[in-house]
Amino acid sequence: MKEKLFLVVIVLVSIYLAGCTAKELKVPLEDVGMVGVMAFDYIDEDNLKLTVAIPQYSPEAKEHTQIFSVSTDLISKGIVDIESLSDKKVVLNQLRVVLINEEFARHGKVEKSIQHLYRNPEVGNKVLIAVVKGNGEEMLKGKYPDKPNINFYLNDLLQPSINTAFNPNTNIHDFIYAQTNPVFDAIVPILEKKESKIEVEGIALFKGKNMLHSLPKDEALIIQALQGRKKLAPMNLTLSNDSKGERLMMDLIDSKVKIKSNKNFDTPKLTITLHIEGTLVEFKGERENSLKTVESTAKLENDINEELEESISDFLKKLQEFEADPIGLTESFRMYYKGEWKEENKQEILSKLQWDIHVNTSIMSTGTLK
Amino acid sequence: MKFKKFMRSPKSEDHKKASQNVKNVINTEVEQTIESIQKHTDHISDVIFKKIPTEEGIVTLIYVNSLVDKMTMQVMIFIPLANHLHQIHQVSEVVSISDNAAIVSKLMGGQTLLYFHEANLLESIDTYSASTRSITNTETESTVIGPQDAFTESLETNISLVKRRIKNTNLKNEDLTIGSETNTKISILYIEGIVNEENLETLKGRIDKVNYPSFTDISILKQLIEDNPLSPFPQYYMSVRPDSIVHYLLNGRIVIFMDNSQAAIVCPTSFLEMFISIEDYYNRWTTASLLRMLRFFGFFLTIMITPMYISALTFHPEILPYELLLNLQESRSRVPFPPLIEVLFIELIIEVLREAGSRMPAKVGQTIGIVGGIVIGTAAVEAGLISNILIVLVATSALLSFLPPIFLMSNTSRFVRYIFILSAGAFGLFGQMLAFAWLITHLLRLNSLGTPFMTPVIPRKAGDLMDSIIRFPTAFLKGKTGISRSPKK
Amino acid sequence: MSTHKQRPLNGYHVIFLTQSAMIGTGILTLPQKLSSLGYSQAFVPLLFGLIACLTMWPMIWLNSKYKNDNLFRINEKLLGTWIGKSINIIIVLSFIIFLAGIISDYMNLIQTTALTEQTITIPVLFFLLLLLYIVSGGIKSIARFCIITFFLTIPILYFLRWSIEKGDISHVLPLFNFNGTEFLNALKEGYLSILGYELIMFYYPYIENQKKAFKHALIGVWISIILCLITTLVSVMYYSEWQLKNIEFSVLHLFKAGELTFIERIDIFGITLWVFLILSTVAGYLWTAKKGLDSIRSKETKSHDYIITILIFLLIILPISQELLERLFKLSNYVVYVLIIWPMFLSIIHLLRKKQVQP
Repeated sequence: MKEKLFLVVIVLVSIYLAGCTAKELKVPLEDVGMVGVMAFDYIDEDNLKLTVAIPQYSPEAKEHTQIFSVSTDLISKGIVDIESLSDKKVVLNQLRVVLINEEFARHGKVEKSIQHLYRNPEVGNKVLIAVVKGNGEEMLKGKYPDKPNINFYLNDLLQPSINTAFNPNTNIHDFIYAQTNPVFDAIVPILEKKESKIEVEGIALFKGKNMLHSLPKDEALIIQALQGRKKLAPMNLTLSNDSKGERLMMDLIDSKVKIKSNKNFDTPKLTITLHIEGTLVEFKGERENSLKTVESTAKLENDINEELEESISDFLKKLQEFEADPIGLTESFRMYYKGEWKEENKQEILSKLQWDIHVNTSIMSTGTLK
Repeated sequence: MKFKKFMRSPKSEDHKKASQNVKNVINTEVEQTIESIQKHTDHISDVIFKKIPTEEGIVTLIYVNSLVDKMTMQVMIFIPLANHLHQIHQVSEVVSISDNAAIVSKLMGGQTLLYFHEANLLESIDTYSASTRSITNTETESTVIGPQDAFTESLETNISLVKRRIKNTNLKNEDLTIGSETNTKISILYIEGIVNEENLETLKGRIDKVNYPSFTDISILKQLIEDNPLSPFPQYYMSVRPDSIVHYLLNGRIVIFMDNSQAAIVCPTSFLEMFISIEDYYNRWTTASLLRMLRFFGFFLTIMITPMYISALTFHPEILPYELLLNLQESRSRVPFPPLIEVLFIELIIEVLREAGSRMPAKVGQTIGIVGGIVIGTAAVEAGLISNILIVLVATSALLSFLPPIFLMSNTSRFVRYIFILSAGAFGLFGQMLAFAWLITHLLRLNSLGTPFMTPVIPRKAGDLMDSIIRFPTAFLKGKTGISRSPKK
Repeated sequence: MSTHKQRPLNGYHVIFLTQSAMIGTGILTLPQKLSSLGYSQAFVPLLFGLIACLTMWPMIWLNSKYKNDNLFRINEKLLGTWIGKSINIIIVLSFIIFLAGIISDYMNLIQTTALTEQTITIPVLFFLLLLLYIVSGGIKSIARFCIITFFLTIPILYFLRWSIEKGDISHVLPLFNFNGTEFLNALKEGYLSILGYELIMFYYPYIENQKKAFKHALIGVWISIILCLITTLVSVMYYSEWQLKNIEFSVLHLFKAGELTFIERIDIFGITLWVFLILSTVAGYLWTAKKGLDSIRSKETKSHDYIITILIFLLIILPISQELLERLFKLSNYVVYVLIIWPMFLSIIHLLRKKQVQP
């Protein structure tokens, strides 16, 4: 009998309490300003300029986005300052994009700022990070007449659709992961504002706490291929050997990579095998009309292999110069290393690293026309 | 008439005179008895006292006019009375003259009392023949496939509907009378050898203990003999379909019928059976399984959808996609209430519509439904009282709440939804989960006639799972379900 | 209720009682607790499983000698009424603190993730009321709740899909890349997460098939161990060593990796659903503490449930300094550790006393 009474009590109390909470005043959804994009601009060592973009739903308002900008030394303090500018409660629940301007990336406290966001339970994992050439605030305040909302525009731009898949689409988890894992160095896409468009320009390579260098798009593709991503962006190549600058475009269907180390820490050597499968979409050059037989395709595949091997090798050499490794080449050495793997171990291996690259291209088809 | 009879059977005057003395004595006693019966049936205008001279002297017929049919009276009483009196004695039953209570109860039960003045003998014949409605098809539990007949309000018809389906002497029906004021007849049906004796004893014990004066429908009895009368959940199955009652009887359940109520109770039952329609067994197993899943998960959806709206809007805007959130912000921008009040408001409107619709004549009801649904709904959104997304959610959950084949369960889901709405309003998703944990615990602790209500979820035997959310092909379903605790496998 | 039977728990009940008691808040922080091992923590739960099996054996053995008594009674029988009772008091007190620890951990987590900007007093109250409702149904009702909990929460595993996709299995290598002190440290911190199987010493008298109890309990233990293993394995795949060390609730972040189109943040959904796991763990402990109080006061009343719940509520709500609370929780943890070794000690006494009696 007691438990039945208990049930009644629960119901009554919950009714009572629900009445109470209505009074307790939760900020209802319509009074919340959900920050979609956040930009950090470099001022000096300690200070940064914080800009946020908050989408505006009201159909009467002229602008679709509210943009606020403050200079501050702490991010959370900046948010509080912005709140006093805004008519709404500013929350980071729906933060989607964090923009860092190049200067901040090179000199500012990037890792700390991102960590601050990473720690915040309000912030989800889907926050994409990008480096901005120039000024983040300007990018947010820029006019994009054909885009409804800067928030969605940036988010969609950075989302990994197939054709932009070359961009490394780094969310805060990936960034922190790569930053804190001694095997990796983080990479982040670079955006640039061009008139009324924003373009993904390339990628920024981080080393230690700051940005080191920017890399062009094709090299980003190599990074991704070597990291083992299955689905890659279409690849365009210019064959340089013996032919006269033949150009081709391939849609990649599948790619597989195998990185094997010789487990030798003194003379480290990697064997990298890359299989790619794709369809030939476009070809421009001498052989354009003769690619009909199996033999000619095999020849072409061979040429592509050589070309790719060469460019990968060049890229790895470049990385060696930078002393940075976004691919995680040394992971296959760490796997066999007793004890704690440190940044120094990576540097050591990387500086001595030699490699063997095998690329296996198979062209599945050359289109439906004979 | 009197004269004719004298003429036809001229009995010896002597004999008559000799017995005159005795007769006088009897006559006064007869008068007294009739008077006392009259006194007991005072102010009941349809109690008829009719004196009829017969071969055996004067007979007073006493009966309640409204409980007997004229035709029956003719066939059962008047014709035999005039022609073959011995027939009456064969079928009648002697009633003690002094037992006033028995006399009255027989009268009220529709029996006709025959008082033989000369022999000072009171006999009764069952002539109960109140008009009943004929067997029609069910409105509340209609199916596309399967038999269409439904129970009526007559106990005899109902039992006959069952007995014509189970031609087996093991099918027992025990009659009881309950209710100190209504004296309602109930009948407990079970199949000997299949039913669990312990269950039967428990049930009879509970019915014995029922101390309630009046029963207008079997649902009253149901609430009195349930394991946990305070629970929002019905713990016994109720149906007006003979085929589903027979299905459960054959599974070893106990069925109770009550005179003057259409539905029958089946006990014990389980939570899952609330989502089982007998039609599932007539459908192909694939369709049946699909429908069952729909009903079962529909129940949980209907109690979760609108609370989810509250928690997402008040506590966790981050769980919704960005674009949807902005839509919500826009549609809610003019709504003056917090989400909790908004939801309660529209849910109440739906309740009102439903209630109003069910009370109205069918044609008017339809119109009101359209007016309520479309006009109020659209206008409320236009006026900025409610966000349009909420209208979609509430409508969906209202539809979902009608999925369970048992109407009581659909009422329960409405009630439980309010608990969820309030707890979501208080603590968001966490509150919802607490409420869900409460629901689960409550269901786990419920019993139906001593058997756990959640049985197929925590199966008593593996075979039960074949007839749970997924209905296996019929060949797998020969066994009795575990909840019946049937001695026969 | 249908629990008129003397021994209401069947095999399934035992399996899931053991299993659910082990999975609670502990598993949320397990990868962090084991982080002194770095990436090599992946297979440590298996080792824990072995330890659990080894320590469970004396428990069952001791109980099988006293078929109708729980540990509280055995304490009194073996150590005399006074010593037994005082030990029982310690056990009950530490259980109460332990309970308060689990609940306040979880509630604080809820506060930081799901109910930001709200005090937790009222949620805690409701939680405890619900808990009382579950416990008042007796051990069988708890066991049933555990079964449902398991099947309700096991689909959460699906949400690990994305982290597995993103993770790198090569992190598992090299195996056993740690030294002794690191391991002991991890054992001390991490073993707490899989505690809970010791409750079998208290509900053993209610088990229907006591001969098979060990087997059933082992199944339960290994289900939990496998769940722990999945947790650590996926965490190792998904995180860097720094993240393992610094993210307190790594399971939450694993959920965050999820991407459903209609629910953006699975972690909030997951953490609120976690209340089932907490309830099932805590219900077992509360029931045990109640039994302990029953045996200390030598009478059975429902009010013991209420007393204990009120104590827990006060412990969580009263403004006791966080430091003192932490220390109390730590202390109760150690008592529970001792409780695992306790049956061995009792078994020895049992053998000694038997020898005393026999010659």
